[in-house]
Amino acid sequence: MRVLVVEDEATLRDTLQARLAEAGFTVDVARDGNEGLFAGQEYPLDVAIIDLGLPGLPGLEVIRRLRVAHKTYPILILTSRDNWQDKVEGLQAGADDYVAKPFHFEEVLARLQALLRRAGGWATPQLKCGPVVLDTRAQTIQVQGVPVELTTFEYRILEHLMLRAGDVISKTELTERLYDQDFERDSNVIEVLVGRLRRKLDPQEQLHPIETLRGRGYRFALPRDASS
Amino acid sequence: MHSLSRRLLVSVSVPLALFFGVMMWVLDTGFRALSERSLQELLDSQMVSLIASAEPQPDGSYAPTPQTLDPRLATPRSGFYAEVRSQQHLWRSPSTAGLAADFGALLTHGERNLVYASFGHEGVAIESRAIQFDEDPSGANALTFSVAVNLSPYEEQLWDFRQQLLGWFAGLMVLLLLTLAALLRWVLAPLRRMEREIRAVEEGRNDTLGRGYPRELSGVAVNLNALLVGERKRVARYRDTLGNLAHSLKTPLAVMRSSLPGAGSDAVLGAEIDRMRDIIEHQLKRAAASGGALLGQAPVEVAQVATDLRGALLRVYADKDLAIELAVAPTAQFVGDRGDLMELLGNLLDNACKWCRSRVRLSAGADVTAGPRERLSLVIEDDGPGISAEDRARVLQRGERADESVPGHGLGLAMVHDTVDLYGGRLAIDTSAMGGARFSLRLPGL
Repeated sequence: MRVLVVEDEATLRDTLQARLAEAGFTVDVARDGNEGLFAGQEYPLDVAIIDLGLPGLPGLEVIRRLRVAHKTYPILILTSRDNWQDKVEGLQAGADDYVAKPFHFEEVLARLQALLRRAGGWATPQLKCGPVVLDTRAQTIQVQGVPVELTTFEYRILEHLMLRAGDVISKTELTERLYDQDFERDSNVIEVLVGRLRRKLDPQEQLHPIETLRGRGYRFALPRDASS
Repeated sequence: MHSLSRRLLVSVSVPLALFFGVMMWVLDTGFRALSERSLQELLDSQMVSLIASAEPQPDGSYAPTPQTLDPRLATPRSGFYAEVRSQQHLWRSPSTAGLAADFGALLTHGERNLVYASFGHEGVAIESRAIQFDEDPSGANALTFSVAVNLSPYEEQLWDFRQQLLGWFAGLMVLLLLTLAALLRWVLAPLRRMEREIRAVEEGRNDTLGRGYPRELSGVAVNLNALLVGERKRVARYRDTLGNLAHSLKTPLAVMRSSLPGAGSDAVLGAEIDRMRDIIEHQLKRAAASGGALLGQAPVEVAQVATDLRGALLRVYADKDLAIELAVAPTAQFVGDRGDLMELLGNLLDNACKWCRSRVRLSAGADVTAGPRERLSLVIEDDGPGISAEDRARVLQRGERADESVPGHGLGLAMVHDTVDLYGGRLAIDTSAMGGARFSLRLPGL
């Protein structure tokens, strides 16, 4: 998952970057409104965290312009003026949720995950597709009730595919969302990772959870459980 | 005496009435003296002609000859009467025919008088004079000549005069008072305009008083405007300062908070940071809540605020299958600060959204029978688990959390409590028919 953090306070920005990366996100940062708007328009993001009180372009304006530019990824706002007027304005401008400063990092993380889940059409933190259950909070996988150990990158790919189960996701998109800009883009790496993922999830080759659509990308093929 | 114009009208009309009364008395007295003198003259001339026309008669009496008699004395009930009387003889003018005339007692020589009496129903003035002719030195044959005149024409004249006097004076007085009232209206019009404009400012239809007041009032208007603008600016600056203070305190706190490595070793530090945040949040919000409408501030439409909040909350709680019902009467208006209403409704609705299963309802209406500080009724209810009786009081305490697992729960409600107190309103918590908690608020309304 690729997240953009737009925050002018350097220490806060750095800690957010570090801890989000620790939590498995690919993090882009911007120091002011204009940088934020540029990054928000140019990078293939899954979600953005935008502080309302930004130098340059105000946070509200950044959100508004991103929405005008048809950027549909969820946006979480950070506000230090914890009043409803700001929250309402932010949400009306196109944000999806807010967190008041100072916050617990865990709260920001929980909100981000909820937003991502919601964007993929999931209502609960547990993504269930038949026998495959992914818990976005605990970052664990179970297949037919049995825990499966995954590496960080394997988990990230699976989470990405499952959040948008049923959609076709290109290799480029996976690469972009999972790695920083300067990471060497070698689609073979993705192929290798998907291959390992398939073997771990479906050692008997009965479920076929991940389809390859030649020239287009991958799709998580197991149907979502109706209850979730 | 709460009206300037009434004061002025009363203070002018009392001396005016007194003046007119004295005038009437003086004129009336003068007129009466005048008419009495003319009556006297009439009686005197009648007397002279009666005495002149009196001739000794064969029977020894004295009487005017019919040829020389004033025709008015010859006509019955003409209003002019005469009598010549001695101890032996009596002559009365034919005009007294059929009249119970009594000219009074005989007078002795040289005596004369004027009396007012009545002949039957006829009021008369009688002048009598005793005369002794030289031919009868014994004095036994003294004659008393009397003439009488009917007074009713004089009285009628007097009444006419009085009536006219009264009519004119009353008319004049009414005219004067009306003129004065009209004048007052015109003179006091700027004051009334000022009153109207102040009311408009109070009700928030205008933000300042207009221009074009007369010189005596323009100073007041200008100063009042300056006061209004100054007060508004002062409050805005105060809030801005508080907001900036909160902002500049919270960002370093956020930095500290986020620099803490996950849960565990620095739990104490984390808890203290949270406490500081809560204190800043609570105290600054408390200080910034205005607790009253500023002059010139328009009443806030509850519907508008509620709709905005509903949209925002539906976005925030998008993954909860949530219905927020708004039953807000168009008459529901809050007399106070928009931000305060936003905080109140935001906190309560957010709280309801957190706890409900699927339904939240906001009802708002105006209760015109209630006092001005309780005219707006707001009810927020949900279908969640509700709040137990012992938690209700606790929930309203500062920072107390009924359920620690839902962050911010207690602080928001304590804030609501404080704000309602500031506005002199009321807050009650009980159980909704929908099953969950019901918060009923009374706030200043229109």
